[in-house]
Amino acid sequence: MAEYRLDCLGEACPVPLLKTQKKFAGLNVGDVLIVEIDHSCAMKNVPEWARKEGHNVEIEETGDGEWEIYIEKAK
Amino acid sequence: MEKKIVDYDVAIIGGGAAGLTAGIYCGRARLKTIIFEKSLVGGLATYTDEIENYPGFAEPQKGIELMKKFEAQAKRFGVEFKLTDVKGVRVLEDGRKLVETFRVIYRVRALIIATGGKPRLTGAKNEEDFLYDKGISFCATCDAAYYTDKEVLIVGSGDAAIEEGLFLTKFARKVKVSVIHDAGTLDANKIAQEQAFANPKMEFIWNTMVEEFRGNERLETVILRNTKTEELIPVTVDGVFLFIGYLPNTEIFQGLITLDGRGYIKTNEQMETDVEGVYAVGDVREKYLRQVSTAVGDGAIAAVTAEHYISESNYLQNQLLAGEKPKLIYVWEPTKEDCRQLLPVVEELKVKFEDELVIEKIDVYKSQSLITKLCSKMPSALPAVITVEDGKVTSVVCQQLTPEKLHQLASDLLPG
Repeated sequence: MAEYRLDCLGEACPVPLLKTQKKFAGLNVGDVLIVEIDHSCAMKNVPEWARKEGHNVEIEETGDGEWEIYIEKAK
Repeated sequence: MEKKIVDYDVAIIGGGAAGLTAGIYCGRARLKTIIFEKSLVGGLATYTDEIENYPGFAEPQKGIELMKKFEAQAKRFGVEFKLTDVKGVRVLEDGRKLVETFRVIYRVRALIIATGGKPRLTGAKNEEDFLYDKGISFCATCDAAYYTDKEVLIVGSGDAAIEEGLFLTKFARKVKVSVIHDAGTLDANKIAQEQAFANPKMEFIWNTMVEEFRGNERLETVILRNTKTEELIPVTVDGVFLFIGYLPNTEIFQGLITLDGRGYIKTNEQMETDVEGVYAVGDVREKYLRQVSTAVGDGAIAAVTAEHYISESNYLQNQLLAGEKPKLIYVWEPTKEDCRQLLPVVEELKVKFEDELVIEKIDVYKSQSLITKLCSKMPSALPAVITVEDGKVTSVVCQQLTPEKLHQLASDLLPG
């Protein structure tokens, strides 16, 4: 049940999603990946991809135009 | 793990134009309100580069900037936001609703559904393999920069397809458009059509549909099929944008609320669904025109309807059906002479039986739904008297109401 952080600040689509997918592949079930983003485009595809894959997702708005996407690996 | 339960007056599912407007109105009405949004607040409008027809802004607005203003306004009225998806909705016996998320269950008085739609897919071969930044996109504003000096194909010919296609020509080297119609026919508005036909970077491939997507890691080729000749046309691309309409996000409401044949939620003019205290607004609703400007109207109406519903439910539970004293409720309509004539008698009774009875007046003109909630249907004539004992309606009297009859009804209610 480890927690990992992925810094995607300053990165535009499709980079955050590609980095998330790569990092997530190495995680175990129950692990949480926190993806830090500040490009609104990543707010659309990163959560959508993760949910489609069956994982649990919650997002915190940490500042104006900055978010942390929490993805819990479900399988 | 038991999920935590928290109470709110109103839950709004979906943070697009309709949901945010409902939030603004609910927040301003001092209702404790929470909006659930599963990704970016702002909804479909954030997928639009420029919005030119939302009144109040003479100059074109970036979709995302306009929606940020909506969000800021909702926050100013104390509306809370939760950025997660809703897993399910249930209605409790007492009329409250449960909205379940990953960690928490929200228990609310009224629920406003503003879940909008999701882009429709072509259903062509291998489509799933190239979703999520592998070549198939639904958002020109999100991905345009990535396609600078590259070649893209648009599928569709409506407003979104042509307007976003025009936007893409600012970045891409070539924007091809697969159109199902005959040469020269587009579904988009005339202004967009004129601009598109005049734009040297745009090229139309008429009478075509997508047959197959091909590539390795990323999409490389789209095979189009000519619907008249059945000819297969391979188009080499760096990316494809699908603008072939939307499907309503209503899966989690199936079985709870009546949907139309295409999955949209049916409502009346007050945005009420067939479940009491549940409303639907914006693109998810069965309606004629899906625009920011129409979503805003829906949101305002639903919020006001929800506010009435909550205050009536409170009045019903905390006033009319609560407490030990028997109640005599005078149902009247201000425009009727015989209703008005009896008012002084009601006031007189109120003073006379102050200690023994609760005597209330309900104006039908303002509170018709309250009366139907109380005794399931309207009295057959007015004025009428409803009596409540032990929290239950015991009689509805609407014939030959005279001052004497009123006195008698009150006396009959006296304990002992």
